[in-house]
Amino acid sequence: MSAFTAIGADSPISVSSLVKRYGGYTAVDGVCFQTPAGQVTALLGPNGAGKTTTIEILEGFQSPTSGTVRVLGVNPRNGGRRWRARIGLVLQSTSLDAQLTVTEALSLYGTLYARPRTIGEILDVTGLKQDARTRIGALSGGQRRRVDLGIAIIGRPEVLFLDEPTTGLDPEARRRLWSVVGSLTAQGTTVLLTTHYLDEAQHLASRVVVLADGRIVADTTPDELRAMGGVPVIRYRLPPDAPELPARLASCLDREKNELTVPSADVTADLGTLVTWARERHVDLTGLEVGSPSLEDAYLSLTRPAETQGGREEVLSHD
Amino acid sequence: MTDLTLPARGALRLPGTGRVLAAQVRYQLILLARNPRALVTGLVMPSLLLALELGHVQHLGATTAGMAVLAPRVGGLFLFAAAAIALFTHASTLVVAREDGVLRRWRAAPLPSWAYFTAKITATVLAADLAGVVLVLVSMEMARLSLTSRAVAAMLVTGTLGALAFAAVGTAITRLISTAQSAQPVLMLTYLPLVFLSGAFGPIQSLPHWLTTAVTYLPAQPVVDAMSRVLLRSGGTLPPLHDAAVLAAWLAGGLLLSLRFFRWDPHRPRHSRTS
Repeated sequence: MSAFTAIGADSPISVSSLVKRYGGYTAVDGVCFQTPAGQVTALLGPNGAGKTTTIEILEGFQSPTSGTVRVLGVNPRNGGRRWRARIGLVLQSTSLDAQLTVTEALSLYGTLYARPRTIGEILDVTGLKQDARTRIGALSGGQRRRVDLGIAIIGRPEVLFLDEPTTGLDPEARRRLWSVVGSLTAQGTTVLLTTHYLDEAQHLASRVVVLADGRIVADTTPDELRAMGGVPVIRYRLPPDAPELPARLASCLDREKNELTVPSADVTADLGTLVTWARERHVDLTGLEVGSPSLEDAYLSLTRPAETQGGREEVLSHD
Repeated sequence: MTDLTLPARGALRLPGTGRVLAAQVRYQLILLARNPRALVTGLVMPSLLLALELGHVQHLGATTAGMAVLAPRVGGLFLFAAAAIALFTHASTLVVAREDGVLRRWRAAPLPSWAYFTAKITATVLAADLAGVVLVLVSMEMARLSLTSRAVAAMLVTGTLGALAFAAVGTAITRLISTAQSAQPVLMLTYLPLVFLSGAFGPIQSLPHWLTTAVTYLPAQPVVDAMSRVLLRSGGTLPPLHDAAVLAAWLAGGLLLSLRFFRWDPHRPRHSRTS
């Protein structure tokens, strides 16, 4: 069941029973979701999960094998000039003419829209003021991504597709992009984001759709996804010459990294065992951590191949 | 704080075609002007070769004999320049733009496909015509060549038609080129034989008869012939019917093939996985 109630027929992005096959390979297999207006929805999943295929179908670059997709009520394959003026996109890789300066590229794209943002606004929000007259070919990878973002938002899009937008960005630039996305959604822009950074999804998205092998394995909020990671975890890195652990704990030891990770249904009892062992053998427990499962734990438990986790196959939450 | 508000629905009135097209032509001219290969092979090298050539025939002056030697040289070097710009540079920059995802981004923008191509081809034709003008100016300066306004108009008509034919063929050829790295060798295989077989660098009478007949149906020799006639003042404003028909046929064929087979997306190896 979906955790979302505010999504209706007028949802800006609507995907129903989407299937995409390349010959005998099924990249997307029966995906269904809708996005709430004015919010960020994150599509998560490992490489090859079908994220980019899904987003490319929504952008109109590819046709689905079967199923229905609508963006702003339009089939993207039939989207005309007016429809394209209402969407913005940051593609997975930078796609700009290296010979143009930042200002030239922005003003060129600005000529295509009815009420484009000014070059000054874009340079300001993307932090590219200093590089306005620099040719794109001379910019770093992170700066080029910011030009990409500037072009994507220059036409004031109602729907913004961000395909791994912060790959290659330094932490400051990532934070800046997050801030821009926050401003856009506050003004009503709907954002569909694919990312490998779970902290990004946690920070930006009100909703996460997790794909694995072309199927949705979770469709929920970041907090609920984190809760799917299971029980709390005790983490401790053992000193190099640490004595043998009690049997209950020894099974949770990664002997290569000498790291103990104990998923614990009874934290008090398991901690007691560990503390007793440490006191008796005079082991220093500095660095011991007890915490709730991370988003990453949850994500990995959902997307890990079935054979490595005892055959998990069920869909945890679905529209 | 920066205003990132959305426009009111219904208030969207997209810019007119003329404004969009003008911006696109300017963009394509900037790209050409910043492309060293286009500048060297399209403008600098032909002018340099012509200047060297004129050094040998300068003693003939602006005589009939001098013009008989000079005209095919200028025509041949114009072909060399026009094909370098409108075939080689045009096609290779299209492949690079496609493989870098630039075309994909344009396709996703509110820009009609025809506007992108019209602008790119317009800029290409303007650059080819400029190459022709530079060659004529070099000839006027070094060989005291004089041209009537009618001859200049004829030269521009021929140059434009030739450049259009090359650009159409170049656009169609991009379908056969899968990577930016393979663009140069594939285009060289097209461009160099075309230029050499046209007689641009010397007479081709020693070639077999069937081959000399065949090259009159390629888009190169009609350009050389028509330009030579203009310089010898033996023609009207329009190129001869046969030459015009050959160029028009290549233009139409190239456009039709491009419309049918042109690819906007980067080449991707096929999935080999099976589900």
